Amino acid sequence: MKGDQIRMKQKMNYLTYIIAGIRKKPGRNLATIFCFAFIAASIFSGQFLMAGAARSVDQGLSRTGADIAVVPTRYLIHLGAAGPDNTMAIVRVEPTPYRIPLTTMDTIRTVAGVTAASPQLYVSTLDLPEIAPMPIDIYGIDPETDFAIQPWLQAPLKAPLGPGEVIVGNSIPGKVSSTLPIAGYEYTIVGKLDPTQSGIDHTLFFRMEDASTLASTDGVVPPGSPRINPGEINAVLLRIGPEPDWFRTSGTLDFKPSYPGFIKDVIRKQFEPTYVTAIGHHYAITPMSEEITGIPDFLSIISGIVVVAAFPLIALIAAMVAHERQHEIGLLRALGAKRRIIALLVISEASFLALIGGILGVTASVLAFGLMNPSGVLAPALQVSFRMPGWTEAGVIAVLAVLIVLAIGSIASLYPAYQSSRMNPYEAIQRAGN
Amino acid sequence: MIEAANLTRIFSNGHSEVRAVDNVHLEVNRGEFSMILGRSGSGKSTLLGMLAGLIRPTSGTVRIKGTDIGSLSDNLISEIRAREIGFVFQFSGLLPTLTVLDNLMLPALFYPGKTDVRTRALGLLDRVGLSDRANAYPGTLSSGEMKRVAIARALSNGPALLIADEPTGDLDVDTEYEIMELFRQLNVEGMTIVMVTHNPDLVRYATRIYGMEKGRLAEGFHSVHTGHGPMEPLR
Repeated sequence: MKGDQIRMKQKMNYLTYIIAGIRKKPGRNLATIFCFAFIAASIFSGQFLMAGAARSVDQGLSRTGADIAVVPTRYLIHLGAAGPDNTMAIVRVEPTPYRIPLTTMDTIRTVAGVTAASPQLYVSTLDLPEIAPMPIDIYGIDPETDFAIQPWLQAPLKAPLGPGEVIVGNSIPGKVSSTLPIAGYEYTIVGKLDPTQSGIDHTLFFRMEDASTLASTDGVVPPGSPRINPGEINAVLLRIGPEPDWFRTSGTLDFKPSYPGFIKDVIRKQFEPTYVTAIGHHYAITPMSEEITGIPDFLSIISGIVVVAAFPLIALIAAMVAHERQHEIGLLRALGAKRRIIALLVISEASFLALIGGILGVTASVLAFGLMNPSGVLAPALQVSFRMPGWTEAGVIAVLAVLIVLAIGSIASLYPAYQSSRMNPYEAIQRAGN
Repeated sequence: MIEAANLTRIFSNGHSEVRAVDNVHLEVNRGEFSMILGRSGSGKSTLLGMLAGLIRPTSGTVRIKGTDIGSLSDNLISEIRAREIGFVFQFSGLLPTLTVLDNLMLPALFYPGKTDVRTRALGLLDRVGLSDRANAYPGTLSSGEMKRVAIARALSNGPALLIADEPTGDLDVDTEYEIMELFRQLNVEGMTIVMVTHNPDLVRYATRIYGMEKGRLAEGFHSVHTGHGPMEPLR
């Protein structure tokens, strides 16, 4: 008969034995696998969410724009009530015809505490109904130093913004890689920004050279507006570094300024007050980021506690399995199994269950995140901004979760394995016989 | 083949001591079928456990092929068990989730370097008349078939000695006869067998018979393989 045909297995192996052992108690072992799967899913989900939240925090912080903007003094008129200490994020300076020389940057860069400086040039606002129903702002940025606009990109650029290329605001129609005709020139869209609910959404960002070319093209800058001379910019956006110790410990005056405020004052003093001034936030980003990035550390500690709490449970299950199979262990010893083989078999069985549970738990979590995130359920459920970690990061977390569960299974079974290996074999056999 | 001298095993529960085996001398020569007859609790299973190195004696020595196993590490005793001793128990001891063939190949796991495992296992299945059940699971076998598989498994590593602890204790008369005939054939073919039983009817299969009571062993009967002839008392 076909069913009675002898399989071509030349030797028994430990895996066959382990699987046979697991099949002996399918219900209990399924429950154990479920337990491991739950632990793996908890570890994976926790780490995955933390990674996603960290990405969101990183992205959020990177999108907060500049700490300080160095602008022509007349620019303050446009800020209105916000004043020089506005609380708005400075991502793109307002479109004004007031400009300062690019060489201003050379002076600013020498100020201690300034970690990044990037120029912005407003060229013009054009009505281009063939492209968009609303007026479009045209700006020049320096892609090499820019830290305010590019963090808002939906996807990172494949290469730095080059000549003939443009980054578009979210409300501008057109997909990445498509072309955009402006004032007789064809530009390739290489990046699109996330929505900002501000003027940035209908702005085109070019390299400074392309912006200057457009500025000198007839019909781009309105005839009544001041001419844009080469080497002119509208603002220099600045990032400042963390508060140094000397500043933190110096003075106890009630009116001691914040560190950004202090830097702002230093910059103001570098220039003629009626000509150039500095505006900024009333808060500093760095201390806030330090607090937020500390949250994952806290969550990691909680994950660690969950993992440690899982040990007694798994150890109990492993001890139960070892106890139930005393007679079998005695039998194996009678057949010639050494103590270390018995210990290895107990550990291997627990590890095997842990591996299956770990893989199942991680797979289920990945599927759940995969289904929830694109459908837009995840972020509202978490009530935080959430960005899915990349495949590599998710893969590392998955492997880590499986390894941790594997370690829990192996370590938790060490003592039952030791006890099994030290069992008096004949007593175990007799007990089963009775 | 196997010698026990002054073998004693005392079990203690803290308050009292039980001499399960008391100063036993035993010698089993190659090719013998030694049977130890005794009631339950007489200490015969403990004696078997000590002969196989599964129980450490309180005092005395056990020599297998001249080697004092009491002086060996647990690892070395395990190796001797895997190579030299085959076990048959009252219960079949087959793993229910392994096929008959896998059950037969199981002991080879503990005998590294053992070759032709599958061929030998199939040969043994044929020897016990179950070659058509290689892929069956133990749960589908009759009690007699299970016992035959257990005997085949005990022989799978090619041991020099077969130890059987009440191998027919749970069998009906017909199956008991079938199994004892198998033991007899194996013995006729040269297998050394030590068996304990409480059934005096079985002593006719043995070449040397011992009686055991309250831990003490006495050689009391002698029988030869002359068919199913009656046992002949030595004295």
